[in-house]
Amino acid sequence: MTEVLLDWRDSERTETISVPDGATILDAAEAVGIGLPFGCRTGACGTCTARLLSGDVVHHRPPRALKDRHLANGYVLLCIAEPTTDTHLAVGATVQAELVPNPWK
Amino acid sequence: MSDAEQPAESETHDHHDHDHEGPGYATPQAAIEAAEPEQTAYVMGLHVGQDVDAPDFLAVVDVDPDSDTYSEIINRVKMPNKGDELHHFGWNACSSSCHMDGLERRHLVIPGQRSSRIHIVDTKERRDPELTKVIEPEAVYEHDLSAPHTVHCIPDGEILISMLGDADGDLPGGFLELNDDFEVQGRWDPPGEIEMNYDYWYQPRQNVMLSTEWAAPKTYYPGFDLEDVEDGKYGQRLNFWDWESGTVEQTIDLGEDGLIPLEARFLHTPESTHGYVGAALSSNIIHFHESDGEYHAEPVIEFDDREHEGWDMPVPALVTDILISMDDRYLFGSNWLHGEVWMYDISDPSNPRKADSISIGGYFGDIQQVQDRDIVAGPQMLQLSLDGERLYWTTSLFSSWDNQFFPEEAENGSVMLKADVDPREGTMSLDRDFLVDFGDLPEGPARAHEIRWPDGDCTSDVWQ
Repeated sequence: MTEVLLDWRDSERTETISVPDGATILDAAEAVGIGLPFGCRTGACGTCTARLLSGDVVHHRPPRALKDRHLANGYVLLCIAEPTTDTHLAVGATVQAELVPNPWK
Repeated sequence: MSDAEQPAESETHDHHDHDHEGPGYATPQAAIEAAEPEQTAYVMGLHVGQDVDAPDFLAVVDVDPDSDTYSEIINRVKMPNKGDELHHFGWNACSSSCHMDGLERRHLVIPGQRSSRIHIVDTKERRDPELTKVIEPEAVYEHDLSAPHTVHCIPDGEILISMLGDADGDLPGGFLELNDDFEVQGRWDPPGEIEMNYDYWYQPRQNVMLSTEWAAPKTYYPGFDLEDVEDGKYGQRLNFWDWESGTVEQTIDLGEDGLIPLEARFLHTPESTHGYVGAALSSNIIHFHESDGEYHAEPVIEFDDREHEGWDMPVPALVTDILISMDDRYLFGSNWLHGEVWMYDISDPSNPRKADSISIGGYFGDIQQVQDRDIVAGPQMLQLSLDGERLYWTTSLFSSWDNQFFPEEAENGSVMLKADVDPREGTMSLDRDFLVDFGDLPEGPARAHEIRWPDGDCTSDVWQ
């Protein structure tokens, strides 16, 4: 069991949840009625992307939605991520929106 | 359960009776003649990828100008799960099954692009549709497929869905078949027959099907990365299939002229081998046709990139949707980034001639507000009335791509807009009295995607 602090990027909102061993952060949040963005739930789509501010996670499946540069910058996929330590995460839809900029701008 | 087993239901639709007993219309012209002005629109509404903790929904929009609730969302069918990304959808039956006595155009098949979940909605009560069945993602992954996109009914009451990835969201994609009880029948195509997939259209009298290419879901899902184009991870090919055998007969590589070929449209007349594909990134319209026993494809309309003040690179138009009027006279399209809807005369299919356009929304549109509402994105999914006189569109492309190109859409929601079309004169004009605001919903702003009419439309029906 680990503690995860969820920190909404665009607001003052924070929540702390406990994640049982073997569970993903998305599952643990849903179990206590906290809604986070998600899509495929398999690690392919990146809708649930969050960013590690401290701590560490392990992905249960390969995080196919994330490129090496994303992983190197602390982006994780909450639908397949289990914390290995107490963890602090930036969450919310705007985190996903950082993954790829407008190439023409 | 099967629509084919409920012939009595057709008696409740007296005003839509046709000369034959099956669904749809005998010919494209019969569809135009039978069509009454649309009163109800079904529109995909989305909350996926927003900080709005609510499921996506099917919106029922009142498009009857005589109604008190004209241009309002009058009902919503909320999906049972969050995170689907409703996108394209289709009918259980269309004119290609018009020989099937008792079969009705009644059930909408609504896939989740991200979830791979497939929903069945019964529209017996047109303005009060009901979710009646859900095919869970596991039943789809079982066939090593994911990311459902285009839904067409195929003759005999079955349903074929283009699938863009394998169970991991990687390549290859393929096609999933449902039977007329909306059960997964299995994979339609031999695995590996194609790599990438996106939209498809079939022209059964010519024994041909055309499928186009987006990318692997894991590539396009998180957003549009130009590096992926450079690495060849986006599509540029047209796959022409033998419709009967379900195998690819011919592949045309469009090269740089045809990057990201998306929407595929054959002319409606069942005799024709002509049609068009919108190559979104190259911003070209590709005309294709068969001669001497093989298909040929070449750009016939090219939209130039435009310089945006202070930006690094010229911006492509991004042609994200096209459709052909039911009389095969006009090709309509949307340039999502530039902000333009256009119509071309295609009475000579190999030589389209520009008829008219409206500069609206997007980065360069002359019109940026309707009824004081900021449009915030370009015209995207189109739908045309069967009589060809009213063109409607919505403004969302795909949640993650919207975030990149029009981030305000997440905060303001999409709009649905309309233009009046004069097919005799070849002109269209914005109807400023019509605005459906998807930004003003109880749960929060929503995106809006594909539009369909209860009686079939210019992108649903195929003739045998």
